[in-house]
Amino acid sequence: MVDDNELKKLRDAALPGPDAEARARALSAAMMAFDEKDEVATQGTAARPRLTSRALMLWREIMQKKLIATPAIAGLVALPIAGYAAFHLMQDGGPALDTGGTVAETLADKAASAKPDAQARPPVVAAPSTEDLKQQVAPFASAAKPEAAAPAGNVQAAPRKEFARMKSAEMNQAMPMAEAEAAQRLGASSADVMPMAEPTIAPAPMPADTMRPPEENRDRIQDFKTNPVRSAKEDPVSTFSIDVDTASYSFVRRSLKDGLLPQPDTVRVEEMVNYFPYDWKGPSNAETPFNTTVSVLPAPWNGEHKLMHVAIKGYDMQPAIQPKANLVFLIDVSGSMDEPDKLPLLKSAFRLLVNKLKADDTVSIVTYAGNAGTVLEPTNAGEKDKILRAIDNLAPGGSTAGEAGIREAYRLAQKSFVKGGINRVMLATDGDFNVGQTDDDDLKRLIEKQRGTGVFLSVFGFGRGNLNDQMMQTIAQNGNGTAAYIDTLAEAEKVLVEGASSTLFPIAKDVKIQVEFNPAKVSEYRLIGYETRALNREDFNNDRVDAGEIGSGHSVTAIYELTPKGATQQVDNLRYGEATTGNGGVSNADEYAFVKVRYKLPDADTSRLITTPVTAANEVSSFDAAGTDQRFSVAVAAFGQKLRNEDATAKFGYDRIQEIANAARGADPFGYRAEFLSLVRLAAAMN
Amino acid sequence: MAMMLDDEASDSELIGRARQGDRDAFGQLVGRHYDFVYRVAYRWSGRKADAEDIAQDVCVRLGRAIRDYRGGGAFTTWLYAMTLNAARDVARKSARESAKTEAYGSHALIVGQAQAAERDDPVEALWAAVRLLPDKQREAVLLVYGEGLNHAAAAETMAISEATVSWHIHEAKKRLKILMRLAGEV
Repeated sequence: MVDDNELKKLRDAALPGPDAEARARALSAAMMAFDEKDEVATQGTAARPRLTSRALMLWREIMQKKLIATPAIAGLVALPIAGYAAFHLMQDGGPALDTGGTVAETLADKAASAKPDAQARPPVVAAPSTEDLKQQVAPFASAAKPEAAAPAGNVQAAPRKEFARMKSAEMNQAMPMAEAEAAQRLGASSADVMPMAEPTIAPAPMPADTMRPPEENRDRIQDFKTNPVRSAKEDPVSTFSIDVDTASYSFVRRSLKDGLLPQPDTVRVEEMVNYFPYDWKGPSNAETPFNTTVSVLPAPWNGEHKLMHVAIKGYDMQPAIQPKANLVFLIDVSGSMDEPDKLPLLKSAFRLLVNKLKADDTVSIVTYAGNAGTVLEPTNAGEKDKILRAIDNLAPGGSTAGEAGIREAYRLAQKSFVKGGINRVMLATDGDFNVGQTDDDDLKRLIEKQRGTGVFLSVFGFGRGNLNDQMMQTIAQNGNGTAAYIDTLAEAEKVLVEGASSTLFPIAKDVKIQVEFNPAKVSEYRLIGYETRALNREDFNNDRVDAGEIGSGHSVTAIYELTPKGATQQVDNLRYGEATTGNGGVSNADEYAFVKVRYKLPDADTSRLITTPVTAANEVSSFDAAGTDQRFSVAVAAFGQKLRNEDATAKFGYDRIQEIANAARGADPFGYRAEFLSLVRLAAAMN
Repeated sequence: MAMMLDDEASDSELIGRARQGDRDAFGQLVGRHYDFVYRVAYRWSGRKADAEDIAQDVCVRLGRAIRDYRGGGAFTTWLYAMTLNAARDVARKSARESAKTEAYGSHALIVGQAQAAERDDPVEALWAAVRLLPDKQREAVLLVYGEGLNHAAAAETMAISEATVSWHIHEAKKRLKILMRLAGEV
């Protein structure tokens, strides 16, 4: 029935011509792209790479995805990854190992995606913007007339696309450049489910066929699954590394302020919660670097559940005894930084920081773009003018030579190394950091090695559209540093001035938390956030396993949602798995849980332990009776979960979040909480 | 295709000038090939609006990449590859949405549309079925039957071996048979 003759008719099919307007628009977009002269976007090449380069790409892509801080976990991850790689090579390979088609695709994609920020260039299709939005909406509007505009016959695409368009009109507002990536993620998962079955299930082949594995995209963001509900009987121990990064909150804020709901994968609940300063009770001296406050309160979004709120407050070092700092600014001045919210903001940010330094601190500046170069040899902060002048003279241009830059920065850090002081490289970038280095893994190793010599690394992300959130996370986690996303000067002030001491002066490193739940009191638990920081149970006592760092005065909050014994369970009890307690009853039966915190002092190699039993004494009877900060942090956690579209908070409205947060604003000297409230309102309006 | 071949010589001249940064040459080049790109995009997507989007996307990519075009193969080959990439990207963009619409009974919709299309025009119905094929098969059919390339040229465009193109075509035929029968029955 379908033979060559019939297929040849395909050539004769009617072809509605393009609108003159669309044509003109496309041509002017082309001219604009042509004028951009962007050196970064050089990859759309005609020469087609071979299988090896595809494998390499894939491998790199995978390595970049892998974001786990610990070598131990990296080992665990390697196997499935190898499978994943093999699978995708095979899947696209066909029987004759054809490889090229998608290679060209990857490269062409890169060409399009290497261009950092689409916002400044309206008519570019590759990245939705207002102009683009109009175009997206327009076809939908026209197609809404029954079949009038749309040429008949697109079997698969027509109805679904109609819907997709309707959606994407809203969604485009919701998810900017992240959209395509999210699509791929979804696509990948469904493609994984039914990989090879495709040729036999002809009737409804769409999902498996059209969806492609994830590929490089502009904002590189690690995706992760929300922590599941766990049964306290089967899995009573929860272990994770603390996380004092705040990048996610800034990213979410920027997105909301631009009128877009953030892509769920950019929302890391713990980073949102930890963005805010809380007034937890701190320790009294530096010897016990922090104090743990645990409270149990009813969950506002579920009447039957309770929240276990673990708050850690780091010792607040007095400025007078703060050690000498040796800072190396490693600044990305590649062409893509030439935007108002990147290099200029960065300059202002670092100027703020320099003003905060003591006279005997040293500052050096290294730039990377094309060739890495030292702009400023180690200079005493007393010579403020010299430093500020060097910052002012930074000018964008060239591509990104990250590796050379980072090596040079470490060299300078070693050159003016302060024994017993703070030695830190502060990397400021808008994203790509991969020219001259084979993959993220090499970079990671380099950073790990330097960490061993006492030079830490913090990362500050600027701009949006090209932001490599994943890279930021990887290197900050491996460099004993923090990752912050700086979108406004106010944020720069928060991170570099208000938070200067916590950003710069660590009081403890490799801080891990392990909580053991008592199945006699708690039937289920769920850790809110910290998905990307999960550790194995055995890692807790293994001092070789790297974990998060706490700076002076930092506060860290972790929240568990508990299902108390007797309440409705989400996980069924095991029929055969009834655990027996050999001693005829659990010891300490009235405790909810036992919280253990393990940490190292900044210059120590062996860890110490702080333990806190959680009993009824930690419990408050009603949510409103809990402390202001507790309630506020719970509101933030609820908001983060809402944005991630999690089940737990599905029925919990933005209005309730607003209510709780509003009642728990407290003093709010810097207006952070007021800003949070405005974000909640924005998100509510967008839903 | 004929048009392309006629212009091949001055194409390369224009490309050469565009690579040096000559705006006019580039503008001429894009203007000349817009309709070609649009046609391929339309055949791939089957929707005017999508085809225009894709074509614009290709124009932008072209603007960024022309300086790096090394002229290894025919310019049209490069354009084909670029257009198909762009088309896939657009499809991928909506793929996430499609996943969401699963619940709406995609199967019923697909079949229903195929039916409606067939009543209109058998060739359109065939195209509709072609667009249901997996990407590679869809591209192979588009290039070989829609654009009239031989297997070797299609192979170059898709950057795969000629044997693989033939295999994709073979698979596509098998599958089209099933799809067409299905659309006929329901």
